[in-house]
Amino acid sequence: MADDKDVLRDVWFGRIPTCFTLYQDEITEREAEPFYLLLPRVSYLTLVTDKVKKHFLKVMKAEDVEEMWFDFEGTPLKWHYPIGLLFDLHASNTALPWSITVHFKNFPERDLLHCPSNSVIEAHFMSSIKEADALKHKSQVINDMQKKDHKQLWMGLQNDKFDQFWAMNRKLMEYPTEEGGFRYIPFRIYLTMSDRPFIQKLFRPISPDGYTHTLGDLLKEVYPVAISNDDESKRYQVVIHGIEPLLETPLQWLSEHLSHPDNFLHISVIPAPSD
Amino acid sequence: MSSCFLDEETFCQCCQLFLQHSHSLCDGWSWEQVKGSEEGYLRKTALGTGRTRCNQDQQGTSSDQHQERTFSLSFHNDDDDEDDGAVCCIQEENSSSSVVQYEYHILYSCSYQTPVLYFRASTLEGRSLCLEEVWDSVHPNYRQRLQHRPWDTITQQEHPLLGQSFFVLHPCRTEEFMKPVLKAALEEHRQVNYIVTWLSVVGPVVGLDVPLSYCTQVPEPPHTPSSSPQPPSSSPQPPSSSPQPPSSSPQPPSSSPQPPSSSPQPPSSSPQPPSSSPQPPALGTKPG
Repeated sequence: MADDKDVLRDVWFGRIPTCFTLYQDEITEREAEPFYLLLPRVSYLTLVTDKVKKHFLKVMKAEDVEEMWFDFEGTPLKWHYPIGLLFDLHASNTALPWSITVHFKNFPERDLLHCPSNSVIEAHFMSSIKEADALKHKSQVINDMQKKDHKQLWMGLQNDKFDQFWAMNRKLMEYPTEEGGFRYIPFRIYLTMSDRPFIQKLFRPISPDGYTHTLGDLLKEVYPVAISNDDESKRYQVVIHGIEPLLETPLQWLSEHLSHPDNFLHISVIPAPSD
Repeated sequence: MSSCFLDEETFCQCCQLFLQHSHSLCDGWSWEQVKGSEEGYLRKTALGTGRTRCNQDQQGTSSDQHQERTFSLSFHNDDDDEDDGAVCCIQEENSSSSVVQYEYHILYSCSYQTPVLYFRASTLEGRSLCLEEVWDSVHPNYRQRLQHRPWDTITQQEHPLLGQSFFVLHPCRTEEFMKPVLKAALEEHRQVNYIVTWLSVVGPVVGLDVPLSYCTQVPEPPHTPSSSPQPPSSSPQPPSSSPQPPSSSPQPPSSSPQPPSSSPQPPSSSPQPPSSSPQPPALGTKPG
């Protein structure tokens, strides 16, 4: 049986084998070979694809190159979503490696946020952490940290340093013993079959009478569609970090162990594969 | 309201009252409901002025390098604690004043328990403005405020209900400016509509005007039993079967702006979005 700490490591070091192919309409001086890379589930596309950019720039003229962006089967990929979430949401039931198309033109302004530098990624990441702590601790823990502590969280992620990251992040995972858990759980449930990108609501991990809420309780409350009745065949999968946790799992435990580095539980609800 | 935080139900009620006044002024606000949910947001489009790049063939893209320089202003990267080292680049050689189409959305943030202002801007030809152009369009009076307070700044974010790119004024400092206003209003037994007060602070920064009549004509929602006890003089309006139309001419502001008796009644017949989930009690009871 895995120790709880092992779970943290497994989550952090999760990887997705990916094949990057240049979009066929991009203007190249000679043919572009695909580029293969293992992507960290917990990081962000624009943070880990410098090598991809360098690879394709070798066959392109500078004037044909604008901001790089990615799509999967025609859907622009949002860099501000963690990589693992993008995969679970769009490609879980497809064959590996994950095939991503690379673009340098016609940036989809309406759909994607611009990412001109790493400081934008850092700002987004820190903003998520702040929001998560607003929910968990009324921002008390994050506000008590110094700037260098915030920096350590970011550098830990950027440089793939588990220990450096968790030395600081463990503070964000603490709670007063008498409370039994966080004030509210930072979560987002992502839907594929909806205009709405995600659902986010206030939800307590422990009820006022001390009952420990489970993943199933959360879904029943916030997105009951995801849970099928016993007599129906399962229509949806509820996926976190590429796995389907049991619906009986306590939400507080999930929040402490299966959150992304941004301290949010990113939950995908996807159609179950039909055989 | 005795707290600087806003629960979702009160947000919706404040918005509905706000909306009634907007209709009377033809101020252009509408309520957009999310399909299959009780959630919604206020929306308005307006023409304004902004500073945009000229001679752009493509959509708002400058070179990566150019934008990189500008982005260093929003979030300090140096270790100097005193000065964030923010510099706002005004690209005067390449940009000019032009007519810009703005679209404003007021959403509720359950994480911060405040409203949040989302907006996007495009030229009349339909080209989306980039962040740099939006920064350049902020009135010089407000630029300093944005520069020196990183958490008040404008960033590009995903709209949580539509999934599209918008610009946002970060909400985590809302408490700071709302708290003293709400406290004073409580002490002086004045009514305050949270949305009106909040928007009058954040709106002008991004070119959104809030006519003065909002402050005198829009009441706060009636107090439900679950919210904190209110001083006796600000008793709730008697419920009516249909909303009364507000008086056609705005009342002159008085020294203590009590809403006049003919002001809009709480809209008991308009859709009140009940909370769909057993959420914790209205957070108006928590200490500020």
